[in-house]
Amino acid sequence: MITLDDISLKDFTLENLPRLQELRRLSFARKPEICIERARYITRYLRDQDDPDDAPEVRQAKKVNYFLQHKLPVFHDRNLLAGSTTSKALGAPLFPEFFALTLWPELDTVSKRAKNPQQLTAEEARELNLDIFPFWMDNNVLELTRARIVKEKNANAAESLRLFESLVFFIAAKAGCISHAVPTYAPVLEHGLSGLIGMAAEREAASRTQAGEAGIRQADFYRAVQIALSGIITYAEHLADEAERRAGVAADPAVRQELLELAGICRRVPAGPAATFREAVNAVWLCQVGIHAENINMAMSPGRLDQLLYPYYKRDVEAGRLDTRGAIELIGCLWLKIADNVTMVPEASEEMFGGAGTVPAITLGGVNADGEDAVNDLTYIMLRVTELLAIRDPNVNARYDYEKNSRQYCRRVSEVILNTRAVPAFFNDRANITALQGQGESIEHARDYAVIGCVELASSGRDYPASSSIMLNLAAPLEMALFQGRRPITGEEQIGPQTPDPATLASFEQFWEVFKTQLDWLIEKAIALNEEMGRVHQQLMPSPLLSAFFEGPLDKGRDLIRGGSLYNSSGATHIAFADVIDSLNAIEQTVFIEKKFSFAELLQMVKSDFAGPAGEKMRLYLQNRTPKYGTEHPIARKNAQNVVRHLFKLYQAHTNYRGGSYRPAYWTMTNHAGLGGITGALPHGRKSGELFASGITPVSGAAPELTACLNAVAELGGECVPGCWALNIKYSPEGDPAQMSERFAQTIEAYFQAGGQQVQFNIMTYEMLQDARKHPEKYPELMVRVSGYSAYFKDLNELMKDELITRTMYDLTNGRAVPYPEEKGGK
Amino acid sequence: MPDLITQQVQKKLWQRLQNSFSSEVAEEFLQTLLTLMQFVFVVNADYRRNLKNFEGRYQFCSKDGEVTIAALFHDNRMEVMEKKIDKPDITITFRDGRTLLNFIIAPRQDILGSMLRHDVVTEGNLNYLYKFGFMAKQLQLMMPQLSQ
Repeated sequence: MITLDDISLKDFTLENLPRLQELRRLSFARKPEICIERARYITRYLRDQDDPDDAPEVRQAKKVNYFLQHKLPVFHDRNLLAGSTTSKALGAPLFPEFFALTLWPELDTVSKRAKNPQQLTAEEARELNLDIFPFWMDNNVLELTRARIVKEKNANAAESLRLFESLVFFIAAKAGCISHAVPTYAPVLEHGLSGLIGMAAEREAASRTQAGEAGIRQADFYRAVQIALSGIITYAEHLADEAERRAGVAADPAVRQELLELAGICRRVPAGPAATFREAVNAVWLCQVGIHAENINMAMSPGRLDQLLYPYYKRDVEAGRLDTRGAIELIGCLWLKIADNVTMVPEASEEMFGGAGTVPAITLGGVNADGEDAVNDLTYIMLRVTELLAIRDPNVNARYDYEKNSRQYCRRVSEVILNTRAVPAFFNDRANITALQGQGESIEHARDYAVIGCVELASSGRDYPASSSIMLNLAAPLEMALFQGRRPITGEEQIGPQTPDPATLASFEQFWEVFKTQLDWLIEKAIALNEEMGRVHQQLMPSPLLSAFFEGPLDKGRDLIRGGSLYNSSGATHIAFADVIDSLNAIEQTVFIEKKFSFAELLQMVKSDFAGPAGEKMRLYLQNRTPKYGTEHPIARKNAQNVVRHLFKLYQAHTNYRGGSYRPAYWTMTNHAGLGGITGALPHGRKSGELFASGITPVSGAAPELTACLNAVAELGGECVPGCWALNIKYSPEGDPAQMSERFAQTIEAYFQAGGQQVQFNIMTYEMLQDARKHPEKYPELMVRVSGYSAYFKDLNELMKDELITRTMYDLTNGRAVPYPEEKGGK
Repeated sequence: MPDLITQQVQKKLWQRLQNSFSSEVAEEFLQTLLTLMQFVFVVNADYRRNLKNFEGRYQFCSKDGEVTIAALFHDNRMEVMEKKIDKPDITITFRDGRTLLNFIIAPRQDILGSMLRHDVVTEGNLNYLYKFGFMAKQLQLMMPQLSQ
């Protein structure tokens, strides 16, 4: 399957790929601009033309179609692909159905704010203030959920909403997004959108002949699919018109020729089947643009592009129409197109989400549906493009089956990570396929998994996973267990059930039960709100366009948001996992086994943030002399396993509004920094305000041995973590890259054989990151892995920079943690 | 002469708002902000456009119960009263004047931090708060002109 002479493709560099070099330069030079065109056109449509008697799917399709009809066809540079997600060169689109109105207070200042400014013209700010935002005051997902809860007098959901809005218990992500999906574009490439529209038309006609409500609903859905998809075709036609217009006035014959080629491509795809590799790549991109017209730009993941595009690549290469250079250039253009948008982040959210990209994930390698090696020439081409461009988005991930994929593939992925210092992330096929099979997915479907956004897993185009539905702060139920259902941050208010004073408990097992009581209560609340918001999505945000790119909806005649997909899960991820495990360990060891402190003494010191010499003495003991997650200590291993198993069992007992299960996961984006910053002291010696560990990563400084650390994490993997995890490991770079690459690959292999599901790296030292904080101008392109995604270090808030700097760094030559250089003025 | 009076009143209000930036007294900051807002709605046609067709009921309360102020927007007008109102669109409960100021208008605003620390607790539709925040910010941006 591999025909390349050199899989690392070292002869291809940015110097001899001037188009990519220039496009990359532009991508770093561009400042983000807020794009209001989607907000403008959907508001106009809903205000002036919407028919409330239409089915929700049809209303949504008409709204999307109206936007795509009016969307500006723009060409900002000499990218070989046509289409852009926004009208700006680097745009932050607004989705008023979700959180766009959070921008309102800073309409006049967002362009000039100190941290990560986003440009907005005075005229556009005025239009948002007077024309667009007022329409949405009571009409976004959050407010419609609130209205629904009030109308139904649903006290349980009302309490859930209150907990969510206090921000310190859980985040109900449906208020801010839907997205998080891996569609399949294979049918589009084969039949074209016209083919899919024809199929939907036939099924609509058949449904109309059926009697009853079900037939009408199906027919409405099929009609909605046709309306939505035709919007993409219209947009492609407009791009072709504009390309021809520009070609007519272009002075440079080469530019004219490129524009005419683009016009021709847009006339043919995605309306018709893709005949060439270039048409296939552009068709995929135009469908991605279409998806962003309907759903928010968060983790809309193109998936296994090396598999999808390979037949077109192979055919063109064999026909002599394409060479490696041409393929690299086209894939590079696609990578840069995918990175053409950012999220709108209001100043108020910078602390939580600053620096995040839109995390469209691409998944490479692994095995095919038959369980055989799927790595091909395109896999290596995509790896080389990732290495050359070293940009934040797309979020590239490499699957690895240590029995089926070659060692040279593993080494090549390792080499790319070492060269970019951060990407791609590594995913273990064996463990992840097992995890998805545990969710009832067939072996063939599980083998075709792709990564969504940060780390979550989904069978490509078959699984609609709403993978970021719940982000739960595990420190909240721990504090509630310590303080009888209250939290220091919410004062005397009784939040959870009033459980016994821990000082009265006779055993750790009793405390474990108390912790579970609070944890279960909070999870029930989070799920209740997710269900309410899901029902609001069914009314406000059906996804007929996205549904056309999934297996299931066109067969069932049902939108994704109503359970049309083959698999219909909801994801729940957890923040502060390692800190909570270490706290449980500390309580078990010091209070109940050693009886070093009474629970009352421990609580008193935790409440006082370990104040005074006695407090500090206790804190140091707790920090240095208690079992730590990330080591081989049996208490730490037992508690980690118990929490993971308990969460799995609890979530799996719930069925969501689409008929699927809840899947636990462990990734945190930047929430571990923000929530850690406002959480009080904890029993493992963590002082108030200190950051939580990221994802499933052990607490910084707690796991001194790399092998033990990887084993401790790996043994949690498999069936109980179907949503996957983010394990962050930092390595110090070595003098000999070849040797390091070899050691690196060996470590990956051992970790995966032990069951680890995912791992991502930062190849940088404490000192380098400290220097990057002090002198950002020296590191304008420094990319780091946060917790599941990549970011430019300079864009991150100070809390996140702290977290990245202080993350444990390992020396691969001896497998030991390198002590943090406190005395050199780190923090 | 009326122009002169208007200028004087504006100057005074602006001065009071500036003073309240360094004051811990919630009532003074909030009252000044709301009074200034009312005043500018009258004298500035562009700013007045924020009122057009806007219906909104705001309740501000301090945690200690010392301050209870309502701001009502209806019939293209703004009304301020010291009382509890029925069915507010949003209720903003704040720990003290400083936290409210940080939340709404401070040059280095800390909206999320205020909420995470529970210095400010809101109940109701946050979109109303966002609009109010915009109007307050707009006012702040006008201030250098007013103070001249």
